[in-house]
Amino acid sequence: MDGAAFSVVRDGASAGTFGSSGALSRRLDDFQFTLGEGPCLDAAQQGQPVLVADLTRSDEDRWPAFARAMAETGVRAVFALPVTVAGSRVGALDLFRHAPGTLGERSLAGGLLAARLAVLPLLDLITGDTDWAAAAEGRAGPPELASLERVEVYQATGMIMARLDVGPEDALVRLRACAFARKLTASEAAWKIVEGELQMDVDSSWYLADGGTGPSS
Amino acid sequence: MIQAFVALANSLVDQFDVVDLLDGLTADCAHLLEVDAAGLLLADRRGVLHVVAASSERTRNLELFQLQREQGPCLDCYHTGQAVAVADLREEHGRWPRFATAAVDAGFVAVHALPMRLRDSVLGTLGLFSARVGVLSDDDLNLGQALAHVASVALVHQRAAADRGAVNEQLQAALVSRVVLEQAKGFLAQRGGLDTDEAFRRLRRYARDHNARLTHVARSVVSRELPAQRVLDYSAARHRRVAEP
Repeated sequence: MDGAAFSVVRDGASAGTFGSSGALSRRLDDFQFTLGEGPCLDAAQQGQPVLVADLTRSDEDRWPAFARAMAETGVRAVFALPVTVAGSRVGALDLFRHAPGTLGERSLAGGLLAARLAVLPLLDLITGDTDWAAAAEGRAGPPELASLERVEVYQATGMIMARLDVGPEDALVRLRACAFARKLTASEAAWKIVEGELQMDVDSSWYLADGGTGPSS
Repeated sequence: MIQAFVALANSLVDQFDVVDLLDGLTADCAHLLEVDAAGLLLADRRGVLHVVAASSERTRNLELFQLQREQGPCLDCYHTGQAVAVADLREEHGRWPRFATAAVDAGFVAVHALPMRLRDSVLGTLGLFSARVGVLSDDDLNLGQALAHVASVALVHQRAAADRGAVNEQLQAALVSRVVLEQAKGFLAQRGGLDTDEAFRRLRRYARDHNARLTHVARSVVSRELPAQRVLDYSAARHRRVAEP
Protein backbone atom coordinates (compact mmCIF):
# COMPACT_ATOMS: atom_id res chain seq x y z
CA MET A 1 0.00 0.00 0.00
CA ASP A 2 1.17 3.49 -0.76
CA GLY A 3 -1.01 5.25 1.75
CA ALA A 4 -3.72 4.92 4.35
CA ALA A 5 -6.11 7.38 5.98
CA PHE A 6 -8.91 7.19 8.43
CA SER A 7 -11.94 9.45 8.12
CA VAL A 8 -14.89 10.13 10.33
CA VAL A 9 -18.19 10.44 8.50
CA ARG A 10 -21.21 12.13 10.02
CA ASP A 11 -24.61 12.41 8.39
CA GLY A 12 -23.25 11.23 5.08
CA ALA A 13 -20.54 13.87 4.81
CA SER A 14 -16.90 13.46 5.66
CA ALA A 15 -16.16 15.29 8.90
CA GLY A 16 -12.47 15.22 8.21
CA THR A 17 -9.43 13.01 8.16
CA PHE A 18 -8.07 11.75 11.43
CA GLY A 19 -4.78 10.04 11.09
CA SER A 20 -3.06 9.35 7.83
CA SER A 21 0.14 7.67 6.82
CA GLY A 22 1.54 10.73 5.07
CA ALA A 23 0.90 13.92 3.18
CA LEU A 24 -0.34 12.07 0.10
CA SER A 25 -2.93 10.04 2.01
CA ARG A 26 -4.15 13.11 3.78
CA ARG A 27 -4.52 14.92 0.52
CA LEU A 28 -6.34 12.01 -1.11
CA ASP A 29 -8.74 11.79 1.74
CA ASP A 30 -9.28 15.52 1.74
CA PHE A 31 -10.52 15.18 -1.83
CA GLN A 32 -13.49 13.17 -0.61
CA PHE A 33 -14.21 15.80 1.99
CA THR A 34 -13.98 18.58 -0.57
CA LEU A 35 -15.76 16.82 -3.40
CA GLY A 36 -18.40 15.15 -1.26
CA GLU A 37 -18.00 11.82 -3.00
CA GLY A 38 -15.70 8.82 -2.95
CA PRO A 39 -15.39 5.20 -1.88
CA CYS A 40 -14.73 6.15 1.74
CA LEU A 41 -18.06 7.95 2.09
CA ASP A 42 -19.86 5.05 0.43
CA ALA A 43 -18.16 2.47 2.65
CA ALA A 44 -19.06 4.42 5.77
CA GLN A 45 -22.67 4.90 4.70
CA GLN A 46 -23.29 1.33 3.56
CA GLY A 47 -21.23 -0.35 6.26
CA GLN A 48 -19.64 -2.46 3.53
CA PRO A 49 -16.12 -2.51 2.13
CA VAL A 50 -15.81 -0.69 -1.20
CA LEU A 51 -12.95 -2.15 -3.21
CA VAL A 52 -11.84 -0.41 -6.40
CA ALA A 53 -9.10 -2.26 -8.29
CA ASP A 54 -8.71 0.41 -10.97
CA LEU A 55 -10.18 3.91 -10.85
CA THR A 56 -9.28 4.57 -14.49
CA ARG A 57 -11.41 1.76 -15.92
CA SER A 58 -13.95 3.08 -18.38
CA ASP A 59 -16.87 1.39 -16.64
CA GLU A 60 -15.92 2.95 -13.30
CA ASP A 61 -18.29 5.91 -13.14
CA ARG A 62 -19.35 6.02 -9.50
CA TRP A 63 -17.27 9.02 -8.45
CA PRO A 64 -16.34 11.10 -11.53
CA ALA A 65 -14.86 14.08 -9.68
CA PHE A 66 -12.97 11.96 -7.18
CA ALA A 67 -11.55 9.68 -9.91
CA ARG A 68 -10.33 12.69 -11.88
CA ALA A 69 -8.57 14.10 -8.83
CA MET A 70 -7.00 10.70 -8.10
CA ALA A 71 -5.71 10.37 -11.64
CA GLU A 72 -3.62 13.49 -11.15
CA THR A 73 -1.89 11.96 -8.13
CA GLY A 74 -1.21 8.67 -9.91
CA VAL A 75 -3.31 6.58 -7.53
CA ARG A 76 -5.15 3.78 -9.33
CA ALA A 77 -6.54 1.49 -6.60
CA VAL A 78 -8.59 2.49 -3.54
CA PHE A 79 -9.91 0.17 -0.84
CA ALA A 80 -12.32 1.63 1.70
CA LEU A 81 -13.24 -0.38 4.79
CA PRO A 82 -16.05 0.69 7.13
CA VAL A 83 -15.43 1.43 10.81
CA THR A 84 -18.26 0.93 13.29
CA VAL A 85 -18.62 1.83 16.95
CA ALA A 86 -21.27 0.08 19.02
CA GLY A 87 -23.21 -0.77 15.89
CA SER A 88 -23.05 2.75 14.45
CA ARG A 89 -21.17 3.46 11.26
CA VAL A 90 -18.74 6.21 12.08
CA GLY A 91 -16.21 6.30 9.29
CA ALA A 92 -13.90 4.38 7.04
CA LEU A 93 -10.30 3.35 6.66
CA ASP A 94 -8.99 4.11 3.19
CA LEU A 95 -6.06 2.32 1.60
CA PHE A 96 -4.47 3.81 -1.53
CA ARG A 97 -2.17 2.20 -4.06
CA HIS A 98 -0.47 3.44 -7.23
CA ALA A 99 -0.56 0.05 -8.92
CA PRO A 100 -3.96 -1.19 -10.06
CA GLY A 101 -5.20 -4.59 -8.95
CA THR A 102 -7.43 -6.31 -6.43
CA LEU A 103 -6.79 -6.63 -2.73
CA GLY A 104 -5.74 -10.16 -1.73
CA GLU A 105 -7.69 -12.15 0.82
CA ARG A 106 -4.96 -11.69 3.43
CA SER A 107 -4.60 -7.98 2.84
CA LEU A 108 -8.36 -7.59 3.12
CA ALA A 109 -8.41 -9.47 6.43
CA GLY A 110 -5.53 -7.32 7.66
CA GLY A 111 -7.29 -4.18 6.52
CA LEU A 112 -10.51 -5.15 8.26
CA LEU A 113 -8.58 -5.73 11.46
CA ALA A 114 -6.92 -2.34 11.09
CA ALA A 115 -10.35 -0.78 10.54
CA ARG A 116 -11.46 -2.25 13.83
CA LEU A 117 -8.37 -1.11 15.67
CA ALA A 118 -9.04 2.38 14.36
CA VAL A 119 -12.05 2.48 16.69
CA LEU A 120 -9.91 2.79 19.80
CA PRO A 121 -8.06 6.01 18.97
CA LEU A 122 -11.30 7.27 17.46
CA LEU A 123 -13.00 6.94 20.82
CA ASP A 124 -10.20 8.94 22.38
CA LEU A 125 -10.65 11.49 19.69
CA ILE A 126 -14.27 11.98 20.63
CA THR A 127 -13.18 12.70 24.19
CA GLY A 128 -10.39 14.90 22.87
CA ASP A 129 -7.40 13.18 24.41
CA THR A 130 -6.00 11.35 21.43
CA ASP A 131 -2.64 9.77 21.95
CA TRP A 132 -1.63 8.74 18.46
CA ALA A 133 1.85 7.78 19.57
CA ALA A 134 0.45 5.23 22.01
CA ALA A 135 -1.94 3.87 19.41
CA ALA A 136 0.88 3.50 16.91
CA GLU A 137 2.94 1.56 19.44
CA GLY A 138 0.05 -0.84 19.76
CA ARG A 139 -0.70 -0.14 23.40
CA ALA A 140 -4.41 0.01 22.65
CA GLY A 141 -4.44 -3.57 21.43
CA PRO A 142 -6.99 -6.27 20.73
CA PRO A 143 -7.74 -7.20 24.38
CA GLU A 144 -9.54 -3.92 24.94
CA LEU A 145 -11.25 -4.30 21.62
CA ALA A 146 -12.57 -7.73 22.59
CA SER A 147 -13.83 -6.25 25.83
CA LEU A 148 -15.85 -3.65 23.90
CA GLU A 149 -17.63 -6.25 21.79
CA ARG A 150 -19.84 -7.86 24.37
CA VAL A 151 -23.50 -8.13 25.26
CA GLU A 152 -23.10 -6.38 28.61
CA VAL A 153 -21.23 -3.50 26.96
CA TYR A 154 -24.09 -2.95 24.51
CA GLN A 155 -26.63 -3.06 27.35
CA ALA A 156 -24.62 -0.68 29.53
CA THR A 157 -24.22 1.63 26.54
CA GLY A 158 -28.01 1.69 26.16
CA MET A 159 -28.39 2.54 29.85
CA ILE A 160 -25.95 5.43 29.60
CA MET A 161 -27.74 6.67 26.48
CA ALA A 162 -31.02 6.75 28.40
CA ARG A 163 -29.50 8.34 31.50
CA LEU A 164 -27.56 11.12 29.81
CA ASP A 165 -29.58 11.45 26.63
CA VAL A 166 -26.56 10.89 24.37
CA GLY A 167 -25.87 8.74 21.30
CA PRO A 168 -24.17 5.32 21.27
CA GLU A 169 -20.72 6.70 20.45
CA ASP A 170 -20.78 9.19 23.33
CA ALA A 171 -22.16 6.55 25.67
CA LEU A 172 -19.34 4.19 24.78
CA VAL A 173 -16.77 6.89 25.43
CA ARG A 174 -18.27 7.49 28.89
CA LEU A 175 -18.24 3.79 29.61
CA ARG A 176 -14.58 3.61 28.67
CA ALA A 177 -13.78 6.66 30.77
CA CYS A 178 -15.55 5.07 33.74
CA ALA A 179 -13.65 1.82 33.22
CA PHE A 180 -10.35 3.64 32.87
CA ALA A 181 -10.87 5.67 36.05
CA ARG A 182 -11.59 2.49 38.02
CA LYS A 183 -8.89 0.39 36.39
CA LEU A 184 -11.48 -1.98 34.95
CA THR A 185 -11.98 -3.36 31.46
CA ALA A 186 -14.98 -2.03 29.56
CA SER A 187 -16.66 -5.38 30.09
CA GLU A 188 -16.12 -5.31 33.87
CA ALA A 189 -17.43 -1.75 34.14
CA ALA A 190 -20.42 -2.72 32.00
CA TRP A 191 -21.32 -5.57 34.35
CA LYS A 192 -21.30 -3.18 37.31
CA ILE A 193 -23.60 -0.81 35.44
CA VAL A 194 -25.99 -3.53 34.21
CA GLU A 195 -26.26 -5.00 37.69
CA GLY A 196 -26.84 -1.59 39.26
CA GLU A 197 -23.63 -1.58 41.30
CA LEU A 198 -22.45 1.52 39.52
CA GLN A 199 -24.82 4.33 38.73
CA MET A 200 -24.42 7.59 36.97
CA ASP A 201 -25.48 11.07 38.00
CA VAL A 202 -26.93 13.43 35.45
CA ASP A 203 -23.72 15.43 35.72
CA SER A 204 -22.13 12.18 34.45
CA SER A 205 -20.16 11.32 37.57
CA TRP A 206 -20.34 7.69 38.67
CA TYR A 207 -21.16 6.57 42.15
CA LEU A 208 -21.55 3.22 43.87
CA ALA A 209 -25.12 2.23 44.57
CA ASP A 210 -25.78 2.01 48.31
CA GLY A 211 -27.82 -0.78 49.79
CA GLY A 212 -28.70 -2.26 46.42
CA THR A 213 -31.43 0.21 45.48
CA GLY A 214 -32.62 0.05 41.91
CA PRO A 215 -31.74 2.63 39.29
CA SER A 216 -33.40 5.96 39.95
CA SER A 217 -34.40 8.01 36.98
CA MET B 1 -42.86 -29.82 17.06
CA ILE B 2 -45.16 -29.36 14.09
CA GLN B 3 -46.26 -26.05 15.54
CA ALA B 4 -42.68 -24.88 15.69
CA PHE B 5 -42.15 -25.62 12.02
CA VAL B 6 -45.48 -24.12 11.00
CA ALA B 7 -44.65 -20.90 12.85
CA LEU B 8 -41.27 -20.89 11.18
CA ALA B 9 -42.64 -21.55 7.71
CA ASN B 10 -45.18 -18.75 8.13
CA SER B 11 -42.56 -16.30 9.25
CA LEU B 12 -40.35 -17.18 6.31
CA VAL B 13 -43.16 -16.45 3.88
CA ASP B 14 -44.12 -13.16 5.50
CA GLN B 15 -41.67 -10.38 6.07
CA PHE B 16 -39.78 -11.32 9.18
CA ASP B 17 -37.31 -10.04 11.69
CA VAL B 18 -34.20 -12.20 11.86
CA VAL B 19 -33.40 -11.61 15.52
CA ASP B 20 -36.98 -12.20 16.63
CA LEU B 21 -37.25 -15.32 14.49
CA LEU B 22 -34.03 -16.81 15.79
CA ASP B 23 -34.97 -16.00 19.38
CA GLY B 24 -38.20 -17.94 18.81
CA LEU B 25 -36.30 -20.76 17.18
CA THR B 26 -33.86 -21.17 20.07
CA ALA B 27 -36.78 -21.10 22.53
CA ASP B 28 -38.52 -23.87 20.52
CA CYS B 29 -35.29 -25.79 20.41
CA ALA B 30 -34.83 -25.69 24.16
CA HIS B 31 -38.44 -26.78 24.63
CA LEU B 32 -38.50 -29.55 21.99
CA LEU B 33 -35.17 -31.07 22.91
CA GLU B 34 -35.79 -30.64 26.63
CA VAL B 35 -32.58 -28.76 27.22
CA ASP B 36 -32.36 -25.90 29.69
CA ALA B 37 -30.85 -23.27 27.43
CA ALA B 38 -30.21 -22.89 23.73
CA GLY B 39 -28.23 -20.19 21.97
CA LEU B 40 -27.20 -19.34 18.44
CA LEU B 41 -23.70 -18.06 17.84
CA LEU B 42 -22.85 -16.44 14.57
CA ALA B 43 -19.35 -15.76 13.26
CA ASP B 44 -18.45 -12.33 11.91
CA ARG B 45 -16.05 -11.72 9.05
CA ARG B 46 -13.03 -12.41 11.23
CA GLY B 47 -14.42 -15.64 12.62
CA VAL B 48 -15.29 -14.15 16.03
CA LEU B 49 -18.47 -15.69 17.48
CA HIS B 50 -21.33 -13.44 18.62
CA VAL B 51 -24.58 -14.32 20.37
CA VAL B 52 -27.38 -13.62 17.94
CA ALA B 53 -30.24 -15.36 19.76
CA ALA B 54 -30.91 -17.28 22.95
CA SER B 55 -33.79 -19.08 24.62
CA SER B 56 -33.19 -17.03 27.75
CA GLU B 57 -32.45 -13.32 27.61
CA ARG B 58 -30.83 -13.26 31.03
CA THR B 59 -27.57 -11.40 30.64
CA ARG B 60 -25.68 -14.06 32.60
CA ASN B 61 -26.88 -16.78 30.24
CA LEU B 62 -25.96 -14.71 27.20
CA GLU B 63 -22.53 -14.31 28.76
CA LEU B 64 -22.12 -18.08 28.98
CA PHE B 65 -22.65 -18.42 25.25
CA GLN B 66 -20.45 -15.44 24.58
CA LEU B 67 -17.65 -16.95 26.67
CA GLN B 68 -17.17 -19.55 23.95
CA ARG B 69 -15.57 -16.90 21.83
CA GLU B 70 -12.34 -17.96 23.53
CA GLN B 71 -12.91 -21.64 24.24
CA GLY B 72 -15.66 -24.24 24.45
CA PRO B 73 -17.67 -26.76 22.43
CA CYS B 74 -19.30 -24.11 20.23
CA LEU B 75 -15.95 -22.70 19.16
CA ASP B 76 -14.62 -26.21 18.43
CA CYS B 77 -17.77 -27.01 16.47
CA TYR B 78 -17.40 -23.81 14.46
CA HIS B 79 -13.78 -24.59 13.59
CA THR B 80 -14.30 -28.24 12.66
CA GLY B 81 -17.83 -28.04 11.24
CA GLN B 82 -18.61 -31.17 13.28
CA ALA B 83 -21.12 -31.60 16.10
CA VAL B 84 -19.68 -31.75 19.61
CA ALA B 85 -21.45 -33.69 22.38
CA VAL B 86 -20.37 -33.57 26.01
CA ALA B 87 -22.20 -35.78 28.51
CA ASP B 88 -20.58 -34.32 31.61
CA LEU B 89 -18.64 -31.06 31.58
CA ARG B 90 -17.10 -31.80 34.95
CA GLU B 91 -14.89 -34.34 33.20
CA GLU B 92 -13.80 -31.82 30.58
CA HIS B 93 -11.94 -29.27 32.70
CA GLY B 94 -8.72 -30.06 30.89
CA ARG B 95 -10.31 -29.41 27.51
CA TRP B 96 -11.99 -26.05 28.27
CA PRO B 97 -10.93 -24.94 31.76
CA ARG B 98 -12.61 -21.52 31.82
CA PHE B 99 -15.75 -22.49 29.98
CA ALA B 100 -16.34 -25.73 31.91
CA THR B 101 -16.01 -23.93 35.24
CA ALA B 102 -18.38 -21.13 34.25
CA ALA B 103 -20.99 -23.50 32.79
CA VAL B 104 -20.95 -25.82 35.81
CA ASP B 105 -21.20 -22.79 38.14
CA ALA B 106 -24.28 -21.71 36.20
CA GLY B 107 -25.84 -25.14 36.73
CA PHE B 108 -25.18 -26.77 33.34
CA VAL B 109 -23.37 -30.10 32.98
CA ALA B 110 -24.17 -31.47 29.50
CA VAL B 111 -23.50 -29.46 26.35
CA HIS B 112 -24.08 -30.01 22.64
CA ALA B 113 -22.90 -27.83 19.78
CA LEU B 114 -24.34 -28.28 16.28
CA PRO B 115 -22.92 -26.57 13.19
CA MET B 116 -24.97 -24.09 11.12
CA ARG B 117 -23.80 -24.69 7.60
CA LEU B 118 -24.39 -23.13 4.23
CA ARG B 119 -22.96 -25.25 1.47
CA ASP B 120 -19.27 -25.66 2.34
CA SER B 121 -18.94 -22.91 4.93
CA VAL B 122 -19.82 -22.88 8.61
CA LEU B 123 -21.81 -19.76 9.61
CA GLY B 124 -21.97 -20.43 13.33
CA THR B 125 -23.25 -22.95 15.85
CA LEU B 126 -26.31 -23.87 17.86
CA GLY B 127 -25.39 -24.50 21.50
CA LEU B 128 -27.61 -26.61 23.76
CA PHE B 129 -27.05 -26.61 27.53
CA SER B 130 -28.58 -29.08 29.91
CA ALA B 131 -28.63 -29.38 33.70
CA ARG B 132 -28.73 -33.19 33.50
CA VAL B 133 -25.82 -35.49 32.69
CA GLY B 134 -25.97 -37.35 29.37
CA VAL B 135 -26.00 -36.88 25.61
CA LEU B 136 -29.12 -36.40 23.52
CA SER B 137 -30.67 -39.28 21.57
CA ASP B 138 -29.95 -39.53 17.84
CA ASP B 139 -33.53 -38.47 17.08
CA ASP B 140 -33.17 -35.36 19.18
CA LEU B 141 -29.81 -34.57 17.66
CA ASN B 142 -31.26 -34.89 14.16
CA LEU B 143 -34.11 -32.59 15.09
CA GLY B 144 -31.68 -30.09 16.59
CA GLN B 145 -29.54 -30.23 13.46
CA ALA B 146 -32.64 -29.69 11.29
CA LEU B 147 -33.50 -26.59 13.34
CA ALA B 148 -29.91 -25.36 12.94
CA HIS B 149 -30.22 -25.80 9.17
CA VAL B 150 -33.46 -23.85 9.17
CA ALA B 151 -31.73 -21.08 11.12
CA SER B 152 -29.06 -20.94 8.40
CA VAL B 153 -31.72 -20.68 5.72
CA ALA B 154 -33.51 -17.96 7.67
CA LEU B 155 -30.30 -15.99 8.02
CA VAL B 156 -29.35 -16.24 4.40
CA HIS B 157 -32.84 -15.55 3.17
CA GLN B 158 -32.01 -13.80 -0.05
CA ARG B 159 -32.72 -16.29 -2.80
CA ALA B 160 -29.76 -15.22 -4.85
CA ALA B 161 -27.27 -15.18 -2.02
CA ALA B 162 -24.87 -16.94 -4.33
CA ASP B 163 -21.72 -15.09 -3.50
CA ARG B 164 -19.90 -14.92 -0.22
CA GLY B 165 -20.25 -11.14 -0.10
CA ALA B 166 -24.04 -11.23 -0.01
CA VAL B 167 -24.00 -13.89 2.70
CA ASN B 168 -21.55 -11.85 4.76
CA GLU B 169 -23.73 -8.80 4.40
CA GLN B 170 -26.77 -10.62 5.77
CA LEU B 171 -24.86 -12.12 8.67
CA GLN B 172 -23.44 -8.70 9.47
CA ALA B 173 -26.92 -7.18 9.42
CA ALA B 174 -28.13 -9.81 11.90
CA LEU B 175 -25.22 -9.02 14.21
CA VAL B 176 -25.84 -5.28 14.07
CA SER B 177 -29.53 -5.89 14.82
CA ARG B 178 -28.48 -7.78 17.91
CA VAL B 179 -26.29 -4.87 19.07
CA VAL B 180 -29.22 -2.46 18.73
CA LEU B 181 -31.50 -4.87 20.58
CA GLU B 182 -29.06 -5.01 23.51
CA GLN B 183 -28.82 -1.20 23.55
CA ALA B 184 -32.61 -0.93 23.59
CA LYS B 185 -32.81 -3.39 26.48
CA GLY B 186 -30.36 -1.24 28.43
CA PHE B 187 -32.19 1.93 27.45
CA LEU B 188 -35.57 0.65 28.67
CA ALA B 189 -34.06 -0.92 31.78
CA GLN B 190 -32.57 2.43 32.76
CA ARG B 191 -35.72 4.45 32.06
CA GLY B 192 -38.08 2.00 33.73
CA GLY B 193 -35.88 0.89 36.63
CA LEU B 194 -36.15 -2.72 35.40
CA ASP B 195 -33.70 -5.53 34.86
CA THR B 196 -32.70 -6.13 31.24
CA ASP B 197 -34.68 -9.37 31.09
CA GLU B 198 -37.93 -7.59 31.91
CA ALA B 199 -36.97 -4.74 29.59
CA PHE B 200 -36.72 -7.27 26.77
CA ARG B 201 -40.12 -8.77 27.60
CA ARG B 202 -41.76 -5.35 27.37
CA LEU B 203 -40.01 -4.52 24.16
CA ARG B 204 -41.14 -7.77 22.59
CA ARG B 205 -44.69 -7.42 23.86
CA TYR B 206 -44.93 -3.93 22.39
CA ALA B 207 -43.53 -5.13 19.04
CA ARG B 208 -45.88 -8.12 18.80
CA ASP B 209 -49.02 -6.25 19.78
CA HIS B 210 -48.21 -3.51 17.28
CA ASN B 211 -47.33 -6.01 14.59
CA ALA B 212 -43.92 -4.39 14.27
CA ARG B 213 -40.52 -5.94 13.86
CA LEU B 214 -38.57 -6.32 17.08
CA THR B 215 -35.45 -4.84 15.51
CA HIS B 216 -37.42 -1.89 14.20
CA VAL B 217 -38.92 -1.10 17.60
CA ALA B 218 -35.49 -1.48 19.25
CA ARG B 219 -33.98 0.93 16.74
CA SER B 220 -36.80 3.45 17.23
CA VAL B 221 -36.32 3.37 21.00
CA VAL B 222 -32.57 3.90 20.75
CA SER B 223 -32.98 6.73 18.25
CA ARG B 224 -35.76 8.30 20.43
CA GLU B 225 -38.27 8.24 17.57
CA LEU B 226 -40.41 6.09 19.82
CA PRO B 227 -40.56 7.42 23.40
CA ALA B 228 -39.27 4.76 25.81
CA GLN B 229 -42.07 5.65 28.21
CA ARG B 230 -44.69 4.61 25.67
CA VAL B 231 -43.20 1.12 25.43
CA LEU B 232 -42.88 0.89 29.21
CA ASP B 233 -46.39 2.16 29.94
CA TYR B 234 -48.04 0.05 27.28
CA SER B 235 -46.55 -3.19 28.51
CA ALA B 236 -46.85 -2.29 32.17
CA ALA B 237 -50.61 -1.95 31.76
CA ARG B 238 -50.79 -5.48 30.36
CA HIS B 239 -48.17 -6.71 32.76
CA ARG B 240 -50.19 -5.93 35.90
CA ARG B 241 -52.30 -9.02 35.38
CA VAL B 242 -49.18 -11.15 35.77
CA ALA B 243 -47.20 -11.40 38.99
CA GLU B 244 -44.32 -8.97 39.33
CA PRO B 245 -40.88 -10.58 38.97
